[in-house]
Amino acid sequence: MPHRLEIALKPELFDAEGAGIQSKARTYFNICPEAIRTVHIVTIDADLSPDQLETLRTEIFTNPVTQISDFRPLDLSFDWCIWVGYRPGVKDNAGHTAVEAMADVLGMSFESEQGVYTSRRFCIRGGGLSRQEAGIIAKELLSNDIIQQVRVYGAEEWDPDTGVGIIIPKVQLDHTPTVTTIPIDSDQALREISDARNLALNANDIPVIRNYFLEPGVQAERRAMGLEAPTDVELEYISQARSDHCNHNTFQGRFYYRDLETGQAETIDNLFKTFIEAPTRRLQEQKDWVVSVLWDNAGVGRFDENHYYVITGETHNSPSNMEAYGGAITGIVGVYRDPLGTGKGSRLIMGSYGFCVGDRDYTGELKPKLHPRRLLDGVIEGVRDGGNKSGIPTPFGQVTFHHGYMGKCLVFVTAVGMMPAAVAGTPAEQKTTSPGELTLMCGGRVGKDGIHGVTASSEIFSESTPAGHVQIGDPYTQKKMHDFLLQARDEGLIRFITDNGGGGLSSSVGESARFSGGCEVQLDRVPLKYAGLDQWEIWVSESQERMTVSVHPDDAARFFELSEKHAVESTVIGQYTDSGKLHITYGGETCAYINMDFLTRGFPQWEFEARWSPPKMRGLHEPVLGEPADYAGLLKDMLARPNICSREWIVRQYDHEVQGTSVIKPLVGRDRDVNSDATVLRPVLASDRGLAFSQALLPLYSAIDAYYMTACTIDEAVRRLVAVGGDPGNIGGVDNFCWPNIQYDPKGNPDGKFKAAQLVRSCRALSDTCMAFGIPLLSGKDSMYVDGHLPGAYGETHKLSALETMQFSATSVIADIDCCVTMDAKFPGDLVYVLGETKDELGASEYYDRFGYIGCNVPHAEPEIYLPMYRDLHRAICRGLVTSVHGIYRGGLGVHLALCAMAGNLGLSADLDRIPAQQDLRADRLLFSETPGRFIAAVCPENRAEFESLLKNHPHACIGEVTESSGFEITCRGRALAAVPVADLKSAWKQPFENLI
Amino acid sequence: MASNFTDSSINALVLTGYGLNCDVETAHACELAGARARCVHINDVISGAVALDDFQIMVFIGGFSWGDDHGAGVIQAVRMKKNAGDKLLEFIDSGNLVLGICNGFQTLVNLGLLPGFDGNYKDRSVALTHNDCGNFRDDWVHLQINQASPCVFTKGIDHLELPVRHGEGKLIADDPIIDRLVQQNQVVCRYATREGTPAQGRFPANPNGSIQDMAGICDPTGRVFGLMPHPEAFNHPANHPDWPLIKQSSIGHVQAEGLHVTGVRIFENAVQYFTR
Repeated sequence: MPHRLEIALKPELFDAEGAGIQSKARTYFNICPEAIRTVHIVTIDADLSPDQLETLRTEIFTNPVTQISDFRPLDLSFDWCIWVGYRPGVKDNAGHTAVEAMADVLGMSFESEQGVYTSRRFCIRGGGLSRQEAGIIAKELLSNDIIQQVRVYGAEEWDPDTGVGIIIPKVQLDHTPTVTTIPIDSDQALREISDARNLALNANDIPVIRNYFLEPGVQAERRAMGLEAPTDVELEYISQARSDHCNHNTFQGRFYYRDLETGQAETIDNLFKTFIEAPTRRLQEQKDWVVSVLWDNAGVGRFDENHYYVITGETHNSPSNMEAYGGAITGIVGVYRDPLGTGKGSRLIMGSYGFCVGDRDYTGELKPKLHPRRLLDGVIEGVRDGGNKSGIPTPFGQVTFHHGYMGKCLVFVTAVGMMPAAVAGTPAEQKTTSPGELTLMCGGRVGKDGIHGVTASSEIFSESTPAGHVQIGDPYTQKKMHDFLLQARDEGLIRFITDNGGGGLSSSVGESARFSGGCEVQLDRVPLKYAGLDQWEIWVSESQERMTVSVHPDDAARFFELSEKHAVESTVIGQYTDSGKLHITYGGETCAYINMDFLTRGFPQWEFEARWSPPKMRGLHEPVLGEPADYAGLLKDMLARPNICSREWIVRQYDHEVQGTSVIKPLVGRDRDVNSDATVLRPVLASDRGLAFSQALLPLYSAIDAYYMTACTIDEAVRRLVAVGGDPGNIGGVDNFCWPNIQYDPKGNPDGKFKAAQLVRSCRALSDTCMAFGIPLLSGKDSMYVDGHLPGAYGETHKLSALETMQFSATSVIADIDCCVTMDAKFPGDLVYVLGETKDELGASEYYDRFGYIGCNVPHAEPEIYLPMYRDLHRAICRGLVTSVHGIYRGGLGVHLALCAMAGNLGLSADLDRIPAQQDLRADRLLFSETPGRFIAAVCPENRAEFESLLKNHPHACIGEVTESSGFEITCRGRALAAVPVADLKSAWKQPFENLI
Repeated sequence: MASNFTDSSINALVLTGYGLNCDVETAHACELAGARARCVHINDVISGAVALDDFQIMVFIGGFSWGDDHGAGVIQAVRMKKNAGDKLLEFIDSGNLVLGICNGFQTLVNLGLLPGFDGNYKDRSVALTHNDCGNFRDDWVHLQINQASPCVFTKGIDHLELPVRHGEGKLIADDPIIDRLVQQNQVVCRYATREGTPAQGRFPANPNGSIQDMAGICDPTGRVFGLMPHPEAFNHPANHPDWPLIKQSSIGHVQAEGLHVTGVRIFENAVQYFTR
C-alpha cells in the first residue's frame, strides 16, 4: 500500500520558499497573497510496516528542530492550495535519493516496481485571490505542463482526510519490445516511413541508404544473421548519425556565395574544413602547447609540464525554450561530461554560461511558451543547480536581451577540465578501443528520455505516458560517476571513454567502435528505468548521466569494485571487435548488422545558396542625430540599460569559488560588485600558474554584418583576457555558433540565402581573426534553426529568427598569477590612459539602440594592428606598471570609464579632447562608439615614463586621473560635459535588477 | 606553496563521495597546515577498509551530499550514524578533532555531534535551514571569533574573512539551546561587518539570517567544530577578493593590511593541537 508523508516548516518559522513565490506573484502579476506556506510531499509506493514508516519519518524526512510532518494531510489553513507533481517518467532526483536513504535506514533493498515520488503543495492565504489568479500562480510560477501536473483546490474543495490523495506518477508501458523491419521498396516508401516515424532522414540520403541495403553482398551477410529489410534499430542509428546535430551537415556543406553588389561569386566547399580545421591545423604546427584538437569531445591545451586543460562549449536551446530549468540543468550537466569523456578523462574545474533571451519586461502581443522573465529565472536556476551541485565553480557568464530570442532562447554552457599529462604511464589525451575489450555503460539508466529531441513535444500526453522529451539533469548521480571514473582512470583501468549525449548509445558506441573496427552490443543487458522500451529506443535514448567506457577484461574486476564503492551502476553491454560490423542483438536475436564504414561513404553533401547584400544595399544608413545636452542623464540611462546593467543577482547564486582556485572573481572592486573582464583560476593548487577564461557575445552587430560581429566578438574575448593579465601569445578559442535556419524556402524562409551568406561571412571572419591573433580553435559547436513561430493577438503566428549569434570563449595560461590585475580604479592620483583609436563606429551600438536606430558604421576589428599593442600592454602588466586595466566593450568609453570608477568607489576626471580618435568626433560619439581594440588603464604617476615608452608605437593618451573626490567628471573643449557623483552612476547601474535575489 | 612542511605524524581524513565536493582543496589546506591528508570515501569508513584509528583529524567537507534533497546533510548524517556512528563517537572520545565545513557542518548538527551538550552526541537540537534571502549565495563574509570559546581550531585568531557558499546556512534552535550555546561559549564565530561590528542580522553581512549572527559552533570540548564559511577556500592570499588591491598597495602606494591570515590557520591550529 502506498503512503503519503507531508512535511512542512514549523508554523512559527519563516518560509523562504513561500516568500519567494509571494514576491514573484506580486512583482510579475500584481497578485498579492498574504502568505504562502510550502508542504513537501513524499509518496512512498512500497509495503512498509507502521514502525518502518515512523523510522523513515523521524530519521530522514523530518528535522525535529524545524519541521512538522504527518502521514495524514497537514492541517494548514489556506484559501487556495496548489499541488504540483511530476508527470510520469520525469526525473525525480529527490525521489531517487529518498530511495537510497530509505534502503540504508531500513536495511532493505527496493524492487523496481516500488518507488518514491516527491511533490509539493502550496497553501496560499489572504489577498482575496480569485480562482483565476490562483491558476496564474500555478501555471506561470509553480509548474510547467510539459513536466508537471497541477491541481488547484479551493478551501471548500479540500477533504482534510484525503488531502491530494495518493498520486503515483509511475511509468507503465505495457508494451512488449519489438523490432520492426522497414520496407525499402522505393525511395518514396522510405521517405514516407521516415516522416511517419520522425526519423528526419534527409531526402538526399534516402537513395544512399536504400542502395546499401540492396547491395547483394550486404544482403547475403544480413541474411546469414537472419535479417532482410533494414530494422528500425538500424534506421534510427543512421538517422541519428546523419542528423545535423551529430554530423554537422550545415558546416560540412557546400555554399554558393555571391556578393550582390560586386557580383563576385565563389564556392566554399565545407565551412568547417575551410574556416575552422585548416587554420587550427596551421596554428597547431606553430604552437606546441596545442595538445589535442578537432577529434575528441573537447580540445586539450598544455597548462604546465604535468597538466593539460580541456575545454569545450555547447548549447541547449530548444529544450530550455520549452522547460527552462530542466533544459538548462541538462545542458550544463551534459557539457560537463565532455571533458570527462576527453582523452582518458578529465576532472572538471569550471563552467560558464551565456543566456540570450527576449526582453525581460516584454509586454507585447506575442505569446511565447515561457515569458522571457520566467524563462530567464528558469535557466539561471538550472545552471545554478547543475554547477553548484557538481562542485564545479561557475565564475563567468553573460546575458544578452534581444527581441529575436523570443522565438528561441539561447543557453550556452561551457566546461573546462584538467587532466594529468600522463595516466598510468600513458599519454592522458590519447585513447582507443581494441578488439576483445568490454563495452561498458556507467551512471544512469535508460528510459524514453530525449528520444527524437523536442519533436515529441507536440504529442498529446496521457496520465502514464512518460514526458521523455524534456529531461532534468541529475548532478548528484553524475558527481558520483565523475569521482568514480577519475579514480578508475588514475588506476589505468580506462582504455577509452566518451559520453552519452545526442544519439545516446548509438552515437557513443558507434563512434568508439570505429577505433577497434567493430563491436557487438547486447541491448537486453542495458539497465532500464522501466520495462517496455523498444530496442531502437534503448539504442538512441538520450537519458542523461551516462558514459560509455572501454575496459580490458583483466581490469574488469577492479573496475566493478570501484564502481560499487562509489555507488555507481556499471554494466557490460557488449564488446569491441575488429569485424568491421556494428552488430546488435537483443535476446540472442540480431536486430542490427551494419558495416562500420557505411556512414563515411557516399552521402551527398548539403548545399546552400548564399546571397550577400551589403548593409547600404539593404538601406541601412547612419541616423541623423543631433548632439545631446544632458550627458549626465544620458550616461545614467546608458548604465541602466538591460544589456549593460548589473546582474549581480545571477553571479551570487553561482558558487564561483568551490575547489579553492579562485584568483580573479566575477565581481571585483571595493564593494565586490562590478564585473571583472575575465576570470582567473589557479587550477593546480600547489602552483602559482593561472588559467584565465573569458567569453564575449555581440549578436547585435549581426544586424549590420555578421563578419564584424564575429571579428569584434573574438577581439573582445581576447581583450578580456589581456586585461586581467592573460598572455596574448598563448590563447585558445572555442566557437559556438547559433544561427537561424539558412536553407532558403520562398515561403517558410524567404531570407534564407542572406542568413547563409551571413554564416559564410562569420566563418570567414572566424578564420581571419583567429589567424591574425594566432588563436587555435580548441573546440566548437554549432546549433542551427534558432527560429520560433509565436502566436499573436488573433491566433496568427509570427516567425521570429534570432540574430546570427556566435559566442567566443578564450583561455590563456598565466605563468605567474602575481601579474594579474583587476579593472577597478584603485588609487587617487593614478593617471587614466586610453589605448587604441576611437572611430566613428556606432553602428548597432548600445547608444543607437537607445534611440531605436541600427545605423550602418558597424565596428571593424583590426587584429593585425591590435596584437602588437596587446603584447606591449601585456609587458606593462607583467612589469607591474598598471594598477588597473579594463577593456572598452559594449556601451563604449563613457560606460566603461564609469565602471572603473564605480568599482573603485573613487572619482575620475577625463578630458575627451585628449582621447586618441579620428578627427572631429563629437563628444557623444567619443563616449559611446564601440570601436574594438581599446583599453582603459590606470598608471601610478611614477611609472608614467616607462609605461608610455612601452606603448609608444600605439595610439595612447593620458586622458585624466583617478580622484579622491566622489565625482565622475567629463570635460570636452574646455567645458564640463558631465559631473555626476559616482554613487549615483552606481545606483543607476544597479537599479534595474536590484530587487532580484 | 608546495606542501613540504608535511608532518607525517598528524593524519587528516577528508571524507568524500556521494556528492561531496570540496575534497581537493580541503586536503590541500590540511597539507599546507602540516598534516598528511587522505581523501577517503564514506563507504571505506563504513566498511572499515580505512580505520579511523590512523587519523587525528577528520573533516566533513562541503558539497551536496545526496543532492541535499531532503535537507542539507541529512542523509549523510543518517548513513554515517547508522553505519559508523560508534566509530565516530570513539574517534571523538579518543581526543581527536572533527571539523565540519558547510555541508559538513550541516551533517554534524544532524548527527547530533553538535552542539554535544553534556556529552550527548546523538540528539539533533540545532538546525541549519534555508537562507532568509531565499537563494544560494556566494560571497565573502567577515567573522568575529569568540576569544572565550574552547574551540581549538580558532586559537589566536580574532577576525577572519572567508567565503560562504550555501543555500541552507541559517542556524536556528529553540531559545534555551541558543542561550546555552552562548553561555558555554560554544558560539565560535559570528558574522560581522567590514568594520568588525556585529552584523546584527543585517543582509548581506549576515548572509543567511542566522540567529545572533552565528556562523560556527563547537562542542563543549572545543574539539568538534562546525562552520558554514569555507576556510579551505582561502588557501592562498590570491583567494581574497581584495588581493588585487592589496598587492598593488604594497608596490607603490599606502600599505594596507596583509593577507597572511588565511583560512589555513584553522587547519594549522588543528595540527598544532597535537604537535605543540
